[in-house]
Amino acid sequence: MSRKISYKDAINEALSQEMERDGSVIVLGLDVSGGSGSEGQKSDAWGGVLGVTKGLSLKYPDRIIDTPISESSYLGAAVGAAACGMRPVVELMFIDFLGVCFDQMMNQAAKFRYMFGGKAVTPVTMRTMYGGGFRAAAQHSQVLYNVPTHIPGLKVVVPSTPYDAKGLLIQSIRDNDPVVFMEHKALYAMKGEVPEESYTIPFGQANVVREGKDVTIVAIGRMVHTAGQAAASLAKAGKECEIIDPRTISPIDWDTILKSVEKTGRLVVVDEANPRCSMACDISAKVAQDAFKALKAPIRMVTAPHTPPPFSGALEDLFIPSAAKIEAAVKAIL
Amino acid sequence: MQSTKSSVGIIANPLSGRDVRRLVTKASVFQNAEKSNMVLRMLGVLGKMGVDEVFMLPDVSGIASRVIHSLRHVRAAEASSLPRVTFLEMPIRDSAADSLKATELMKERGVSVIIVMGGDGTHRVVASASGDTPLLTLSTGTNNVFPEIREATITGLAAGLIASEKVRVKDVASRNKVVRCEVNGVRKDLALVDLAVSTECWIGARALWEATCLRELFVSFAEPDAIGLSSIAALVHPVHRSDAYGLRLVVAPPGEGFMTVHAPIAPGVLVPVSVAEISEIRPKEIFRVETPRGTIALDGEREIEFSDKDSVKVWLEMDGPLTVDVNKVMQKAAKNKVLVQQREG
Amino acid sequence: MAELKKEDLLKAYRTMREIRDFEERLHKEFATGKIPGFVHLYAGEEAVATGVCMHLNDEDRVASTHRGHGHCIAKGVDILGMMAEIYGKKTGSCGGKGGSMHIADLDKGMLGANGIVGAGGPLACGAALAAKFKGKGGVAVVFFGDGASNQGTILESMNLANIWNLPVIFLAENNGYAESTGVKYNVPTPNIADRAAGFNMPGVTVNGNDFFAVYEAAGEAIKRAREGGGPTLLECKTNRFYGHFEGDAMTYKAPGEVKQQREECDSLKIFAAKATASGLVTAAELEAIDKEVAALIDEAVEKAVAAPNPTEADLLTDVYVSY
Repeated sequence: MSRKISYKDAINEALSQEMERDGSVIVLGLDVSGGSGSEGQKSDAWGGVLGVTKGLSLKYPDRIIDTPISESSYLGAAVGAAACGMRPVVELMFIDFLGVCFDQMMNQAAKFRYMFGGKAVTPVTMRTMYGGGFRAAAQHSQVLYNVPTHIPGLKVVVPSTPYDAKGLLIQSIRDNDPVVFMEHKALYAMKGEVPEESYTIPFGQANVVREGKDVTIVAIGRMVHTAGQAAASLAKAGKECEIIDPRTISPIDWDTILKSVEKTGRLVVVDEANPRCSMACDISAKVAQDAFKALKAPIRMVTAPHTPPPFSGALEDLFIPSAAKIEAAVKAIL
Repeated sequence: MQSTKSSVGIIANPLSGRDVRRLVTKASVFQNAEKSNMVLRMLGVLGKMGVDEVFMLPDVSGIASRVIHSLRHVRAAEASSLPRVTFLEMPIRDSAADSLKATELMKERGVSVIIVMGGDGTHRVVASASGDTPLLTLSTGTNNVFPEIREATITGLAAGLIASEKVRVKDVASRNKVVRCEVNGVRKDLALVDLAVSTECWIGARALWEATCLRELFVSFAEPDAIGLSSIAALVHPVHRSDAYGLRLVVAPPGEGFMTVHAPIAPGVLVPVSVAEISEIRPKEIFRVETPRGTIALDGEREIEFSDKDSVKVWLEMDGPLTVDVNKVMQKAAKNKVLVQQREG
Repeated sequence: MAELKKEDLLKAYRTMREIRDFEERLHKEFATGKIPGFVHLYAGEEAVATGVCMHLNDEDRVASTHRGHGHCIAKGVDILGMMAEIYGKKTGSCGGKGGSMHIADLDKGMLGANGIVGAGGPLACGAALAAKFKGKGGVAVVFFGDGASNQGTILESMNLANIWNLPVIFLAENNGYAESTGVKYNVPTPNIADRAAGFNMPGVTVNGNDFFAVYEAAGEAIKRAREGGGPTLLECKTNRFYGHFEGDAMTYKAPGEVKQQREECDSLKIFAAKATASGLVTAAELEAIDKEVAALIDEAVEKAVAAPNPTEADLLTDVYVSY
């Protein structure tokens, strides 16, 4: 397994292989092909705003469907098509746009199975971009994966590597429940080893990224890598961090987290989101409730502050949790 | 200046242009916003012709409210020449009953003319009550035969010329023929252009757009350049609005008649119609409908359901509405230089 | 213009009678306090659901509204299951987990009543998109009210359906009131059909209290959609005999307004008069249906009342297919 491709290409490959395998897989979103109805290049002009779906519309011209800027209608149409036998992958360009279409995710897709007494199957995958670092300011940088996680009926996937992105996306498409698939925009260029063949990674199985005995660091998405930098630095000082990447936050692998905390007795949760009602709070509360006796020190949360994402680079760098902040948090409880 | 106040009525039917023909044929949707604009264009010229007051059909469908809104925001210079606009006080049912009631109220108010904006259906309703009050007809839509298709400004101008007595009504208005019917001795609505007997059992969505259900057709006039059912007769035997007769046409099953007419029976619909019989009919000559069950369509819209228990009679009458020929009005105006001012000296 | 045979007329009448009796009975039972939650009754609007759904098969999808009982019955959802669902019982269509506002039966093509006003538009577009991929002429119908006609989802869906030429029928049920607020206040063009022009789609208004008008116009719209002609906006002007929800005192309606509607615009009375006058069906045949339907509704209420409640185990099931 030596081939290295980017996170973006891993997602593209997963989509392509699933579309090849299953004719009911369709991709809908703004500019997922790009150029529809234009005077210039009519197909594959963009292949997604950042090129994630590039080339797919040439391979599957009828199933890569450009949409109007009308998130409620096309996200809802994906949900409706899923309830009628299709397996749509719908792209919400930025998670920040959830505000204009949340009903179709929260009240429709998430609720069908339960409120219809277990008779509905809604296999829709909702891909969306999240996270900071692009100086994209308050409406294009939010993290918000905690929002769908709060809603029963939705599954939420937050891959941190190209390998996980491919395997989890294929699983998401094949999964019979609605899945929100969160892609960090700063990870698209990241390269990693990815098998050429199709494979799946089951939901609810955390990845122990680094083993260690002194402290457990649970980090999500891009923060897995920031935590890795902190751990490398701490290792030089002889402190052994265990880094856990939950990979999916709904469902979430509590066992792996709890077992690790029972081993280390210390927990730092790293979450790029705002702190209130966040995954950091959620994980901290679970550990406090179920592994209190194992804890040797207070749980620490490293998160963005309770502010909107700022524009200026000088401010955004302060806003996003850094390796230094993680290191400080670890040191504070060791 | 007029010694007595002059007034004009305007009936703009907000419901016209929304029936099933939008779906089954390529008939146009006539926006109510445009009807409001037509009213405003007419008000401008009516005022300049010295008309004091305009009575209008109130409605809930936006025409009246847009007119009110526009009048409120009109520039001062323009406002001084506008007539007073009075919306009739009457309950709104959002149905044909509104146009009927408005016609009666306008007659009571003694308007010089009533401008009717709508399709054949609207005109039929107004015509049933207009009596001796002349009508100026204005088509809103693509599938009308009776009303004139004309820029509203000119219709407004013609109305103004009549109301201000610059042109005399008797020189430019004439009576129309109508096709009447009764069911079991009870007089029903009239048709201005055509009355069709169809085998469709139900009024349903009203319009008729398939020739296969036609059995008989009675027309008061038949113009070869008209759209609609009367075109079937018109393409064989044109009859002018002023001729003292109409036509009766019996439709045969496809291919069984003595001829087949390719007729534009609805917008975008050109179909073959097989004809078994065609003959001239005289006023008050009564025909009994022999089709056992079906509907009577008046000017292309199914209005009356009947079965074999009912006795349906149809005849032509000369006592239809009085309508003004706008072309004649303007010819008179030109001839008498009504709108021309010579420089003195 | 499809011909209605005797059996079609009897079927239409039965459906309309089932809806009417179902709703009238719920109105009575709700007053006793035995029915939980919010209930929105469809009585008065029967001709719309019936006239539309007579043209649909189980492969065709319907996205409904909070006022969905009529659509469910007309689409063939089991009446006993519906009644039990409204009573919150385990034997209900959704096992007591949905209630009045969420009755669904996907096997019958009923994508669900919906508690969110206007939410059905996008879902119907999706159902139509799926039908287009299947290529077997399936259509989707979204019912929505005059109130929902102002929701972005409905307008966005009209746009989507037209640019993708989807086999969707936008079925506007204009009953004059969005909850307590009149259509004259809420909608600048009270013919909701007028909005079709902005999307380059046919817009038609018919009398929603006349089954025959709805049946014919809906038939043409559905035929057009099946043949690839694209979406239609069909507005049915109708009236509801009860409040927005049960318990609504309807202070916003004029004195005598409902009484007049019941006398002049009752879709069942209009239907019965026309159908018997045509000679195709007899009054006795309609009365026989009345009796059968009354017995069915009695049975539905009896069974619903007697049915078991869901249990604690049911609380946690069916959130996901797998988790």
